[in-house]
Amino acid sequence: MFVTDCRREFYDVIVSQRVLLLVASDVDALCACKILQALFQCDHVQYTLVPVSGWQELETAFLEHKDQFKYFVFINCGANVDLLEILQPEEDTYFFVCDSHRPINVVNVYNETQVKLLVKQDDDLDVPAYDDIFRDEEDEEEDSENESDGSEPSDKRRRFEEEVIERTMRRRQRREWEARRREILFDYEQYEYHGTSSAMVMFDLAWIMSKDLNDMLWWAIVGLTDQWVQDKITHMKYVTDIGILQRHVSRHNHRNEDEENSLSIDCMRIAFEYDLRLALYQHWSLYESLCNTSYTSATLKLWSVQGQKRLQEFLADMGLPLKQVKQKFNSMDVSLKENLREMIEESANKFGMKDLRVQTFSIHFGFKNKFLASDIVYATASLMENIEKEGPETTNFIKALDSLSRGNLDKLHQGLDLAKKQLRAIQQTVASCICTNLVISQGPFLYCSLMEGTPDVKLFSKPVSLCLLSKYLLKSFVCSTKNKRCKLLPLIMAAPMDVEQGTVIMVGIPPETESSDKKNFFGRAFEKAADSTNSRTLHNHFDMSMVLFGSLCWKLRIRCSEVVSDVPDFIVLQLCQLALFEMFQYRPGLWVLCLRG
Amino acid sequence: MVGERAVGLVRELQSAAGGRLPPFRAEELGQTLEEMRTLYERNQADVSEAKSGRTDLIFLIRFRHCCLLRNQRCIVAYLYDRLLRIRALRWEYGSILPNTIQFHMAAEEVEWFNRYKKSLATYMRSVGGEEGLDLTQDIKPPKSLYIEVRCLRDYGEFEIDDGTTVLLKKNSQHFLPRWKCEQLIRQGVLEHILS
Repeated sequence: MFVTDCRREFYDVIVSQRVLLLVASDVDALCACKILQALFQCDHVQYTLVPVSGWQELETAFLEHKDQFKYFVFINCGANVDLLEILQPEEDTYFFVCDSHRPINVVNVYNETQVKLLVKQDDDLDVPAYDDIFRDEEDEEEDSENESDGSEPSDKRRRFEEEVIERTMRRRQRREWEARRREILFDYEQYEYHGTSSAMVMFDLAWIMSKDLNDMLWWAIVGLTDQWVQDKITHMKYVTDIGILQRHVSRHNHRNEDEENSLSIDCMRIAFEYDLRLALYQHWSLYESLCNTSYTSATLKLWSVQGQKRLQEFLADMGLPLKQVKQKFNSMDVSLKENLREMIEESANKFGMKDLRVQTFSIHFGFKNKFLASDIVYATASLMENIEKEGPETTNFIKALDSLSRGNLDKLHQGLDLAKKQLRAIQQTVASCICTNLVISQGPFLYCSLMEGTPDVKLFSKPVSLCLLSKYLLKSFVCSTKNKRCKLLPLIMAAPMDVEQGTVIMVGIPPETESSDKKNFFGRAFEKAADSTNSRTLHNHFDMSMVLFGSLCWKLRIRCSEVVSDVPDFIVLQLCQLALFEMFQYRPGLWVLCLRG
Repeated sequence: MVGERAVGLVRELQSAAGGRLPPFRAEELGQTLEEMRTLYERNQADVSEAKSGRTDLIFLIRFRHCCLLRNQRCIVAYLYDRLLRIRALRWEYGSILPNTIQFHMAAEEVEWFNRYKKSLATYMRSVGGEEGLDLTQDIKPPKSLYIEVRCLRDYGEFEIDDGTTVLLKKNSQHFLPRWKCEQLIRQGVLEHILS
């Protein structure tokens, strides 16, 4: 059920109770969690925070805590599955779900009592109408009412015939309704996409209660920027949400414009920036940033010698000497830094990069500390997926959560260093994949698989890193290939997850187009492929388009699906072939393959 | 070398920094006392000889006397410092000490601890009106009713005042009343997070 008044139906209900927060492992969820924690601390709501990174962990955490808590809040997890069926809660347990995953499962939408969705209703949801999907079971009772009263046989037979006709009519109607229901549900659940960031929803709640602070606003900004960096929302939506946040920013930070009454330099201030899209450029050198941002690297084709020359031309066009550009950004000449953004934009237009500047926000506290929202996103994401294991995975989550507080600058700087390593590794992997033609066209989709010996392959056993890598790879591939058809294909990327267990993590991303609506159909495609090949897959991540593959199957039965022009089914067939290919690579041996027509 | 063992005891205490209580060295203490007794007996013998004329023994007597005083000083410092540490343990751990620490205490020290506990309890009951005032809580002035804590290791279930239980698992964060958490923070199970 959708919550119309967030304050009365959610916050006032839990303010006097103990709550369990189940938080997914992505930056948007972390930001939403920080905002909610700040609100809870303000009002002394006793809560427990448990990080979860997948469905299995969610279920375990729920089972452990279900005796102690009655109110559960899910952040960025749980909207797209039937929660009641998976978790089987008691009657008096309430779930509050604040999730940006769409489409929302219809059971969650239409449950009146136990599941409350903290989602803005004007998000393009397109939930199917209640009567189209659910139907009360009244038919059984009508059939049993037909008792014959011992009257004449001819009367009986007539009534019997009428009954039979009625029953068949009802059965036919029923079948038609069910077929239509399946179709509606299939259309509804076919594509996966993302709605408004959870951090923004939480900030909205804080604002309604007049308890919003500049800190919370910054977390909301970081949450939104995370969605943009990971390409989860369309550009239109991003710009609209930036507009909404811009109003809040000017409300909180207008004192800085007034020269006389401005705040001390140590106070935190947020400013709107129309800044360059180069990743981490203020904490790195301009040259490194240009090489390691996907946008510039793909457009200039920096994996080839031609590309490197073009980069030099680009820098020469702007009049920036190489020596300056390779230095740390803060040590560049002040005269060069002054008009940098405008100069770069002008030159970029000449080289085909029209969107080098993007609307974003920056935070400023103290003399040394200035960060763009995207810097924080990269730093936090790389802290969360840090492969240098210092304990269980939740330690990384805790570290990333801490780094969002302004007092933990050392963790933030550690995150920035890790992010630089990660971006460099991504670009090198992309360059090597393109130069060695590892991206193969498999018919309806492109496929790339990372071998075990590839450098930095351990970095890509984590979902967010793998997603970033795939997106950058697709962008670069689209710029590098001459085949017009290949430019419109989606990409499936596979990387080894755990070498001892022989598992592979696979992610599918939609094709790269100018006006894509970021809708991903790979969730359903993977499920169907898994069903038809009986392979051991695990949909553990909250994003359905990511799947773990166990390469330990002995028999494969591939059923040739009927020829349909519908893209997903064709992909299913290809995926089955792909599954076979994968198995053979990881476990060469005797394969029994039965093909049934 | 005379006095080695006594100094060894003192050194051991000095190296056990941070208020830790190392095991009670009854054996070394006994050996030191034995050494002192030997010195004293030899001195006794030499004094009677010196009185009867051998004045060159006076320096030796004096030397042995200094050693005796030194040993006495070391032993007394050792025992007293241990008592101070045991007293601090009451404030840190509460009235029941963990078994590992009790193992390190001598029987007399345990008795001293019990008497100290009793004395402290009597005093606390006499202060603060009818119920008494628990002085071992809130050693630093508290800033808020509830604090945010993070669990550093798996502890299990923990009950709060209103009967509800909290499951303390590694890396889970909780927002709990301060007075319940203080004990666990001191034990190192929970960590107070300042944001």
